[in-house]
Amino acid sequence: MKQIENIISMNKICKSFPLAIGGAQQVLFDVTFDINAGEFVAIMGPSGSGKSTCMNIIGALDTPTSGVYTLYGTNIANMTNDELATIRNEYIGFVFQNFNLLPKRTVLDNVMLPLMYRGMSPDDRIIRSREMLRRVGLEKFETYLPPQLSGGMKQRVAIARALAGNPKLILADEPTGALDSTMGNEILRFFKQLNRDMGITIIMITHEFEIAGYANRLIHIYDGRINYDGKIPTSEDALNKKTEKKARK
Amino acid sequence: MTLNDILKESWLSISGNKIRSFLTVLGIIIGVMAVVIMVAVGETVQKEITDQFSSLGTNTIVIRAGAAQIGGVRSGNRQTLTTDDAAVIAKLPDVAAVSPVQVAGAQVVYGNKNWSTSMIGAYPDYTTVQTIDMEYGAFFDDIAVRNASTYAVIGPKTAAELGMDKNPVGEVIRIQNVPFVIIGVPKERGDSAMGSNDDMVMIPVTTLKKRLQGSRFPNAVSMIALKLFQDADNSVVIDQISALLRDRHRLKPGDEDDFQIMDMKQILETMTTVTGYLKLLLIAIAAVSLLVGAIGIMNMMLVSVAERTREIGIRKAIGARESNIIIQFLAESIMISFIGSMIGLVIGVGLAQGVGRFILGYHVPFSLWPVVLSISVAVVVGLASGVMPAIKAAKLNPIDSLRYE
Repeated sequence: MKQIENIISMNKICKSFPLAIGGAQQVLFDVTFDINAGEFVAIMGPSGSGKSTCMNIIGALDTPTSGVYTLYGTNIANMTNDELATIRNEYIGFVFQNFNLLPKRTVLDNVMLPLMYRGMSPDDRIIRSREMLRRVGLEKFETYLPPQLSGGMKQRVAIARALAGNPKLILADEPTGALDSTMGNEILRFFKQLNRDMGITIIMITHEFEIAGYANRLIHIYDGRINYDGKIPTSEDALNKKTEKKARK
Repeated sequence: MTLNDILKESWLSISGNKIRSFLTVLGIIIGVMAVVIMVAVGETVQKEITDQFSSLGTNTIVIRAGAAQIGGVRSGNRQTLTTDDAAVIAKLPDVAAVSPVQVAGAQVVYGNKNWSTSMIGAYPDYTTVQTIDMEYGAFFDDIAVRNASTYAVIGPKTAAELGMDKNPVGEVIRIQNVPFVIIGVPKERGDSAMGSNDDMVMIPVTTLKKRLQGSRFPNAVSMIALKLFQDADNSVVIDQISALLRDRHRLKPGDEDDFQIMDMKQILETMTTVTGYLKLLLIAIAAVSLLVGAIGIMNMMLVSVAERTREIGIRKAIGARESNIIIQFLAESIMISFIGSMIGLVIGVGLAQGVGRFILGYHVPFSLWPVVLSISVAVVVGLASGVMPAIKAAKLNPIDSLRYE
């Protein structure tokens, strides 16, 4: 029997930000969920719901104000900035809405970047990065600069960069937000393929139900609280009914 | 990150904004170039002055007739030194050679040409005191001095100005209508602190005093020049001469000296100190432009941090540690400073050597320390101007940086 490996555990996570006028604004309230290896999870919610803050904590870009967040069994709540950087480099591959590629570096250089910070030798970096570019179908574009590529190609470069470090987890923040529907669907199919064929855990932040439909599990956040966590509902109406029912409770 | 990665990242960042990087580098180029040129100017001045005084010999002492006090009244005109003083000084054990010296201006006439120069009346030992070697002929001897002969030793430049042949020995010149036979021409000695050594006429001091000046005091001279043995202690000899002359001039205790003793060694030391300060002053002025260049780098790096906030955010998101960011920005500022310093060094040395040697005709000493200085400046200026922006970059919050537009 296949053993289920828990990779993310969020336990009563709260996050508040200090306000310039004094006091603090809380944006996450006792957020609790676990994510196992091999899951494809969509975190969905409207703007200002707290899903980006949640993603930042999952991605070790930020730490919670209270609660316990363990990534691969390691509590990252009290880690230093450099320890968090190491965690990001070794465990997480980021795919951003606006690609976040370095515009003056070649496609190959962009893909090699996380490997450079990992301390991999230049030769190994090149071999590994070319392999990733081949996997996303951009092996002929390694000398191009990002501005010379289409949006879909840029996002594939970003995915190649995310995959280069051989992460267990890919964290995608609105990965199709800057793409047209054709390219967006292509990227989402690619994520699905990565999840299915390589067993990579994918957490995708989105505010669109159709996009969340590519995932196997949906976590819906509203006003900083989880009001749905389960299989993808059959329709957005079905999701709304479930979340309204919970809100009434 | 390997050193190669750091250098490559720095170079790509610098070359990514060519005009701004060039202008920043230009600040350092000008700064280092100014320092290198000022160092060269300072060293050249110091060397020229040292050489000029050294050419007189640091074991040379010149005694000048000074103000005499007669009945409590100071008189600066009286020539208080005599050839007899010179003869007594010559007997001191540490004195190698002595010559009384009388200096006057002279209008020298040769054929239909004339030339205004200085005339030195001296003894044969003047050649030893002044280290004069002869190119043609010979210097006048003691007999010529005793007889107040009308022999002249003419400087090579004077001979040239009078349109004489290369070897003018035997030619006759006229000074104050007195004909002088040229008996020798010294080798070229160049300029010294006392003026040109090659433009002068040297005649026996007795000839100058008696025949040309018609002095009522033919023994009185304006100077006595002497050379000491190499191992002599200048200050000891000076004390001896001072005591001797005070005694001979019957000066009472408390009376001022009626002579001045100039010790070339002391003068050289003073001049070396003065030119040393001059050099420091020049370097300090040039260093201001270097400081401005350094501020330019810091300014550029701060702007760069602001412009590349998003890039910093991306790097941190994918695993760059704070130390990686600090090293990257420091390496950029050091690279800019290093490139500027090396270009400034090459241009500075080139200009100093080129202008000095080929236009001004000075031998500009090439010393290694501008090279060491430039490399040090590159590292120090690069570090100093890069630290603050680098720390600022490293401390950026990755979330805020990624949101930065």
